[in-house]
Amino acid sequence: MGDNDIKTVIFTVQRFNPEKDKNSYFQSFQVPVKRGTTVLEGLLYIRENIDSSLAFRTSCRMGICGSCAMYINGYPHLACHTQVEEFHSGKLVIKPLPNHKIIKDLVPSLSEFFEKHKEVHPYIIRHDSVEIEERQGEFLQKPEELSAFLQFSYCIKCGICVAACPTAASDIKFLGPQALSQVYRYCADNRDEGLEERLSIVEKDHGIWNCHFASACSEACPKGVDPAFAIQLLRRRLLMYSMHLGIQTQRTKFADKPDTVKGKIEVPQYTAK
Amino acid sequence: MKNTYLQLVQMISGILAGLLLAVHIGVQRLDVILGFLGIYVSNTLSFNSMIERAKQISWVTLYIMLLFFAMLHASNGLYKISVEMNLSRTSLRLSIIFIILVGLIFFILGAYTPITLFMK
Repeated sequence: MGDNDIKTVIFTVQRFNPEKDKNSYFQSFQVPVKRGTTVLEGLLYIRENIDSSLAFRTSCRMGICGSCAMYINGYPHLACHTQVEEFHSGKLVIKPLPNHKIIKDLVPSLSEFFEKHKEVHPYIIRHDSVEIEERQGEFLQKPEELSAFLQFSYCIKCGICVAACPTAASDIKFLGPQALSQVYRYCADNRDEGLEERLSIVEKDHGIWNCHFASACSEACPKGVDPAFAIQLLRRRLLMYSMHLGIQTQRTKFADKPDTVKGKIEVPQYTAK
Repeated sequence: MKNTYLQLVQMISGILAGLLLAVHIGVQRLDVILGFLGIYVSNTLSFNSMIERAKQISWVTLYIMLLFFAMLHASNGLYKISVEMNLSRTSLRLSIIFIILVGLIFFILGAYTPITLFMK
């Protein structure tokens, strides 16, 4: 396809309006596409020119917010990150993300997904209150300590990994690859002191040991987070912890207060306040 | 840490059952390969050979251990499947009791033959 060539692709979209429909159905739209047109742009064309009632989520349009995750030609993708040309087909079948409830058309309900995310306490847990009470300070962290968890912190919470997960499809209570990988992300962070707390959460039924290691989550993740790898690392950590062989992570130290370090340029008083 | 310990049991019992099964299959079926390794066994599938093995404490122990680890592995696996099936609390309890009972019955039935043969 040349830069200015325009061809027509049929978008077959799953429709469902809970106020009117008992079951979902498919509706086809003819969408003109050119080189570089994304699936999201095609959907926006449908909404602006053919059917304004078509519902789907979108926000950043550059693969960062994770809003536009959907099931395109039998595989979960970010619609803004996926070009129509990639499929080498004149027909696209677009459905909402599987393993999530549907609100309307291509809009999945992510409430349960975020409940599970919240359940694993996805934040730095400290047993002291030094960070809160002495806000001027900061924790020291070496580049290699950062790289231990950096990859797993790229998660954009799009829900694609859960949509690809065969265990999440059969066990609705399963914590899911997103939540489990975030547990490892915080456990591997040397500023965090919530290891025991989180391990007791993921250790329960429908937790980490229910992962069948299909690795579909890692294959589907649009940000390269590799949740399956995080789950394996977390399993090792959990086993070592349960056998009291604990992997000793060197906890980070609190940096000296900035007032003991003189900057080269004096910060004017009014900006400091 | 209940599930972690159960997973450890599952891994260890799986490895041990696999090793013991390898010894069993090796002796029963792979006499040519064992001969190549310098271990000579013959007629292992004959009745007399089996009775002879059943009189030796090492073989009886091996078979009972194999049975024990296999039943432990299978019961634990069935328990994990029943947890994943999202059964109600009562159904889950009933299934656990059923799995334990079936496991025990199979173990007793399986262990009965080598023990009685050894005692004769």
